Amino acid sequence: MAGKSQQTPRLRQRQVPAAATNVEYDRLRQDDHVADIFHQNPNTRHPIEKLLETRKASMIVVAVLTALAFALRFYKINQPDQVVFDEVHFGKFAAYYISREYYFDVHPPFAKLLFGLAGWFVGFDGKFLFENIGDSYIENHVPYVGMRALPAILGSLTIPVVYAIMKESGYSTAISAFSAAIILFDNAHIAQSRLILLDATFIFFMALTMYSYVRFQKLRYWAFSTEWWTWLTLTGVFMACVWGSKVNGVLTVAAVGIAVLIDLWDILDVRKDGHTMEHFWRHFTARAIGFILVPFIIYLSFFYVHFAVLIKSGPGDNFMSPAFQETLAGNEMLLNSQEIKYYDTVTIRHKDTKVFLHSHIERYPLKYEDGRISSQGQQVTGYGHNDTNNNWQIIPTKALPETGRGRFVRHGDLIQLLHINTQSHLLTHDVASPLMPTNQEFTTHPKDDRTRYNDTLFYININDGHDGEVIKSKAGHFRLIHAPTKVALWTHTKQLPDWAFKQQEINGNKAANDKTTTWFVEDVIATEGEDFANRTQAEAKQPKHMNFFKKFGELQLLMLQHNAGLTASHPYASGPINWPFLLSGISFWTESDTQKQIYLIGNVVGWWTCIIALSIYVGILGADLLARRRGLDPIPDPVRNRLWNSAGFFTLFWGVHYAPFFLMSRQLFIHHYLPSHLASAMVAGAVLSFILSETVNYPISVWGPTTRARPKLYADLGIKAPIIVAGFSVALGVVMLYFAPLTYGTPGLTGEQVNARRLLSTWTLHFAAKVTAEVAL
Amino acid sequence: MSASVRARRPASPPPGTSHAPPMTSQRFPHARQDHLDADMRRAAASKGLAPGRTKVYPLGGLHISSGEWKLLAVILIVASAVRLFRLSKPASVVFDEVHFGKFASKYIKTQYFVDVHPPLAKLLITLAAFVFGYDGSFDFKDIGKPYDDVPYVAMRLVPAVFGIATIPLSYLTLRGLDCRATTALLASLFLTFENAIVTQSRYILLDSPLVFFTALTIFFWVGFCNEDKHEPFTESWWFWLFMSGLSLGAVFSCKWVGLFTIATVGLSTIQQLWVLLGDLRVPPRVWMRHFVARALCLIVVPIIFYMGMFQIHFLILGSSGDGDGFMSSEFQHTLGGRGMLDTFADVAVDSQLTLRHVNTQGGYLHSHAHNYPGGSKQQQITLYPHRDSNNDWRIYNATWEAEHENGGLMYIKDKMRVKLEHISTGKRLHSHDVRPPVSDVDFQNEVSAYGMPGFEGDANDDWWVEIVHGDKRDSESTKRLRTLRTKFRLRHALTGCYLFSHKIKLPEWGFEQQEVTCNKNAVMANSLWYIETASHPDLPADAPKVNYKLPGFMAKFLELQQVMFITNAGLTDRHTFDSRPESWPRLRRGINFWVKDRTQIYLIGNPMVWWMSTLAVFSYIAVRGLLILRAKRGYRDFDNSRVVKYDGVCGFLFLGWFLHYFPFYLMGRQLFLHHYLPALYFGILLMSGVFDLVTSSLRPRVRLQIAGVLIILVVWNFAYFSPLAYGNQWTKSKCNNAKWLKTWDFSCNDFPDSYAEYTAAAGPTQHQAPANPTVAGGHNPPEAEPDAERTSAFEVKPEPGHDVFGGDHDAQSKAFPPPVVDEDAIIESVIRVTTEGAAEEAGSVDAASVSSEGESSSAAGSSSSSSDSSSSSSSASESSASSDSAADASSSAGANARPAKPAGPAGEAEAEAEQAAKDLFPDAV
Repeated sequence: MAGKSQQTPRLRQRQVPAAATNVEYDRLRQDDHVADIFHQNPNTRHPIEKLLETRKASMIVVAVLTALAFALRFYKINQPDQVVFDEVHFGKFAAYYISREYYFDVHPPFAKLLFGLAGWFVGFDGKFLFENIGDSYIENHVPYVGMRALPAILGSLTIPVVYAIMKESGYSTAISAFSAAIILFDNAHIAQSRLILLDATFIFFMALTMYSYVRFQKLRYWAFSTEWWTWLTLTGVFMACVWGSKVNGVLTVAAVGIAVLIDLWDILDVRKDGHTMEHFWRHFTARAIGFILVPFIIYLSFFYVHFAVLIKSGPGDNFMSPAFQETLAGNEMLLNSQEIKYYDTVTIRHKDTKVFLHSHIERYPLKYEDGRISSQGQQVTGYGHNDTNNNWQIIPTKALPETGRGRFVRHGDLIQLLHINTQSHLLTHDVASPLMPTNQEFTTHPKDDRTRYNDTLFYININDGHDGEVIKSKAGHFRLIHAPTKVALWTHTKQLPDWAFKQQEINGNKAANDKTTTWFVEDVIATEGEDFANRTQAEAKQPKHMNFFKKFGELQLLMLQHNAGLTASHPYASGPINWPFLLSGISFWTESDTQKQIYLIGNVVGWWTCIIALSIYVGILGADLLARRRGLDPIPDPVRNRLWNSAGFFTLFWGVHYAPFFLMSRQLFIHHYLPSHLASAMVAGAVLSFILSETVNYPISVWGPTTRARPKLYADLGIKAPIIVAGFSVALGVVMLYFAPLTYGTPGLTGEQVNARRLLSTWTLHFAAKVTAEVAL
Repeated sequence: MSASVRARRPASPPPGTSHAPPMTSQRFPHARQDHLDADMRRAAASKGLAPGRTKVYPLGGLHISSGEWKLLAVILIVASAVRLFRLSKPASVVFDEVHFGKFASKYIKTQYFVDVHPPLAKLLITLAAFVFGYDGSFDFKDIGKPYDDVPYVAMRLVPAVFGIATIPLSYLTLRGLDCRATTALLASLFLTFENAIVTQSRYILLDSPLVFFTALTIFFWVGFCNEDKHEPFTESWWFWLFMSGLSLGAVFSCKWVGLFTIATVGLSTIQQLWVLLGDLRVPPRVWMRHFVARALCLIVVPIIFYMGMFQIHFLILGSSGDGDGFMSSEFQHTLGGRGMLDTFADVAVDSQLTLRHVNTQGGYLHSHAHNYPGGSKQQQITLYPHRDSNNDWRIYNATWEAEHENGGLMYIKDKMRVKLEHISTGKRLHSHDVRPPVSDVDFQNEVSAYGMPGFEGDANDDWWVEIVHGDKRDSESTKRLRTLRTKFRLRHALTGCYLFSHKIKLPEWGFEQQEVTCNKNAVMANSLWYIETASHPDLPADAPKVNYKLPGFMAKFLELQQVMFITNAGLTDRHTFDSRPESWPRLRRGINFWVKDRTQIYLIGNPMVWWMSTLAVFSYIAVRGLLILRAKRGYRDFDNSRVVKYDGVCGFLFLGWFLHYFPFYLMGRQLFLHHYLPALYFGILLMSGVFDLVTSSLRPRVRLQIAGVLIILVVWNFAYFSPLAYGNQWTKSKCNNAKWLKTWDFSCNDFPDSYAEYTAAAGPTQHQAPANPTVAGGHNPPEAEPDAERTSAFEVKPEPGHDVFGGDHDAQSKAFPPPVVDEDAIIESVIRVTTEGAAEEAGSVDAASVSSEGESSSAAGSSSSSSDSSSSSSSASESSASSDSAADASSSAGANARPAKPAGPAGEAEAEAEQAAKDLFPDAV
């Protein structure tokens, strides 16, 4: 099908005249088709609306909104003076940055670095570790207000950004104020940005990303101008900030990516402007730089700072590889790790399940319950506790020099393991293990009996080791590969039956390179000869150096794995389908004496408006598609293009930040919906504008040097828009104030008041008046 | 004119494309030469159509020339030979025959069971078994168990016949899609010699019927599309549409993956309707007719068919079986042997009752004479699904003053404080501030049975009754407890937590019964209880009685769907041979079905067919992507009718492949290679479509020669791997040669070095000495044991999903009491216990624990009854660190990472707390 050579390509040889092309196709073109515009008379415009559309009025509106936003977010920000919800985590991480101790978290470091910075700025010493929800800040002298101010500022600044996005997208002042008000008066946004949580940073930078992308898009007739490049790069930078704040930022990257792809697809279209492929590739390269290269460099730099700040050993050590841990000052592995010699008596521990390699005098039963038969050899099991039966001696299979470096156990050596207490060698053979018939049984064989010598030989292979590398206790993760059969010493969490005291089964895994076959030497118990005392004396070791990219790669991989592993249930976790309808919230904090609580729940009016607007939007598009399929043309083209391109852009952000959660099996909370909610507020504005009038501000893109002139239009919403928006804002404000006690955690509410605020039975508020009366004893 | 065929063949657009020819076709007329190839010319002539401008629409899928019918007959014979060859071997259970054979037995014995798959294919297998006189007595217990008096050949014949019937369908489908006869022949022979499909269709498995019905649906649908392009609303149009709907219903009734076929047809329909909508010559009324006709035939008909299958299913399975436990009590009540006698409606102080959990099918609030190994070490409280005298409780009034306020019955009202006494052990339902054994979280407390003879109990035994809702038909039920009608919660008096249960099972020591806890944050649904039976010594025999309301078909149907769905989603265990979807198209690994007597059956595809189909799919994606890009840059590829035709054919087949493959990525459940087979069917058709395109400019003879070479290669491949499909004799060296990929893990060491060894070892003694155990101290150097390597390295296991219901490894359901028990006897015995209970209470505890402990029956019996003693004695014999080992044993699997919590002090603390409580509330004692 590929080589259609008989048909000569008709590329580039003609400039397609607009009239000749397919009518259906022409309809889809943006902004060009203005045939069915009716003429507007500016004199009939309502004076108030005219006034509102002036630059000055717009500035005043945005100033008022911003001031209100700051007021609402800073009101009693010192309240409660206790650790609330996830401040447990993010406060703690800030503390680690200040004390420079290494920690591990699934989220990238940007937002947490900001908190660390804020904490350092307001003089937090990093001593307080935010252990429990409800710990007092006052008693522990934590300058928490300064740290909370950071998200509050970012959260407040989100409001003017939302306004600006709407304004830049061509909506009138009233409509822009409407979208901003939905966010401004939203209890969930307020609650989330008054506490030391990552979401405010995330949302703020997401809004900025949208803003700069809109600005970038408006300059499309000025491609490759300085301004165009500026907004392109800024979009990339803000995108990296979003990505660097939370893992969910990947969704923002995806949303921008999809928008860019759609845009590029348009540029590729030869019929639209007849551009050459070179033109396309220039655009492509520019976007690749702005949307891939720049964000990636910035994202890397966050981690660079992260590693540069965290140089001491801390709670995150154990997540990392030994090589990584040795770069941290004061790390146990760095201090206590020692090289292992032959004839050392050691304990060997499994990396994943942390059991010791163990053996005892009891033997495997001849016949298992399922009828299979064992070798009846001595049992080898995994045991979780310290015991002398965990002691094994490493026996060489080659001649050793009397002293010196030759006596160390190295990567790839062939060794035997001698069980000290029973004086027998570890052995495996082709007999099925007690629990897994696919795996080999491990047992031991008396030391003196050399008949089965071959079966007691094991290669000791360090993970990613190089030749001659010495095995070190703690730091050296290795596999024990059986020489004749090539199986690896392995264990899993299944317990053996009573005859082995319910200890963990150990067997030989044929998948020798499996991740879970890793073991390490926990401790050196005794050593042959003289220098045991000398060896254990650790000289003060210097942290080692490790390549930044290696560190970055390792951490990224771990973050991914752990993020997928967060599946434990949480009482306030909720499924994504509940979110837009506000079916459930999260209890952040409670105080019993005063009956105060913080409950994360959105402004019902705002949220339900958003979801209704979204469904109206989908309905309009669906009806329009059907109508056009039947040859009708109900919506003027500029209006339709605005609906598709501008509201479509917002809907894209909404969808991309929402739909993927349906596929995730990790713990999900309603605050994961907040970015989507922001986007849906803008959709609501666009839909309101569409409902009120069939006019738009047009064109809004900056005219290029060769753009042909088009009739100008303005959105004529009349006086009804400001009135509706004002009325709506008042309603939002009232509802917001009604739920304010749950958002600010003050004042305390009586049981009846709590019941009155519990609009849906699925909201699990605390201190509700008991429906069931107490009966006295 | 007639010599050189100059007619413009109508651009026969495949299903779904617009009938309107491309708008530009007039301006760029096609070259007229190669529109009809020799096949077409001959076919047109055989139908008596003069070459010219007559439009030749392929009618349905059945208009092929008589020569082709003969060809089809030959293909059919070949296919039968390949699929029926030595069908009776092996004469023992293979892979999932364990499940599906067992289900057939249960159908015949009419014992109720639950499975994750809908019933159609199983019913057909059962029918075959029934016709050949199978009485359902064989248990299909383990893979490799020899058949004994089972018409297993007849049962295997069902999938085999479906497998054979798929072959001509593929031929006719491709012909219906306007491909050449050579192409269709190629596809049908590829299918015939596809090892995986052959293997799968030779045993009692569901995938062969599934693939057949998928193929049938696609065949009918292609036929319908052809009719639709010709003239809608004719009789034959309706026929093809209706048949499509019917076979859609059949696919969906075999396995739920039939949903993918529905999606394929659905998307194709939507596209048709969308094109129709854009055709302004079609008035809305006609469009609505199109729409309604399709909705009727493609939605309503399949649903009715599907429900019909379940109706048959319910009709057959009339009596109780091991699937009962998954259904609601109302449902169970409809099964023979599970019915319940009417029970007294009133519940009063001193009533004897059984309590059931509302939201899970865990069953009755239960206790037995075994203690928790950790926590308080008091007696266990669980949920147990079966009737048993250990489910019986007596309710007491816990309020001191209120007692004996009047002589008559004192009904249990809302907000009443009660105690519940377990009748057979005499202990009371108790809760305290100790973490439960499995759900070890702060907001849950352990629930136990506590008390001793002569001990009055303490305040921790007290519970508040909170009625949540009653029944509309019974106004009393909202005010006081009424049997079966009132749903209520039990709130613990001292800690305020609610009696709670959820779908979490206790470990072995709790006989894998469901955990019961006291939850401070209880979800309402999981803390609701109701009373199933109640009796009171003072109630007259004519007091009002109640019973369950029998559910109708719809209620039963919907409930079963829900159970199937939840269980299906929950099949996430690993299996040695499971695989993820990304490994399927490259045939990374097969499935071990059966190993015995040095032969084995291993599901592996014909690598050539498999990889060629994958290649075709990806080349389609690449070429189509290129075409889209070219179109965007102004190339007019789609003005070429050949491109349009093959784009339509391949696009439809690709859609089918994609929809039968991609959704598996979204499934978290355990998946197997054979889930790819329906997609493989589409892949093979797509490959044939590509073949048709690639060879379209060749002369028919050359095309036939190429096809011949391909077919010979495929047959050679098939023969090469056929010992694995048929379970034939093979040699080690041949097997090792056949391991083309490292990841193909059939175990070659099982095969002998030469065929001669088979005949030599034909005696009954030689087989499967289990793994030649090396006796400790024995002289066994590895090279001296030729057989050591020969252990069947893999334990052949059936797909474990069905075990969820079958419960073979589940002591609990195995111990299910025999279904035919005299109802009256049970009730009588229960009553006898209530009356005599007090007398023999102290002495009979142990006896009761053995006799009434259904769950600790034969299999688990020895270990359970002696579990405590054996673990303690063995820990003593542990050479060192014996003190830790008891804790070690008690800590559950996976908890090894953290040090085991000492259990002793907690128990003491508990006793202290109770002492304190006694001091605080002396009047409660």
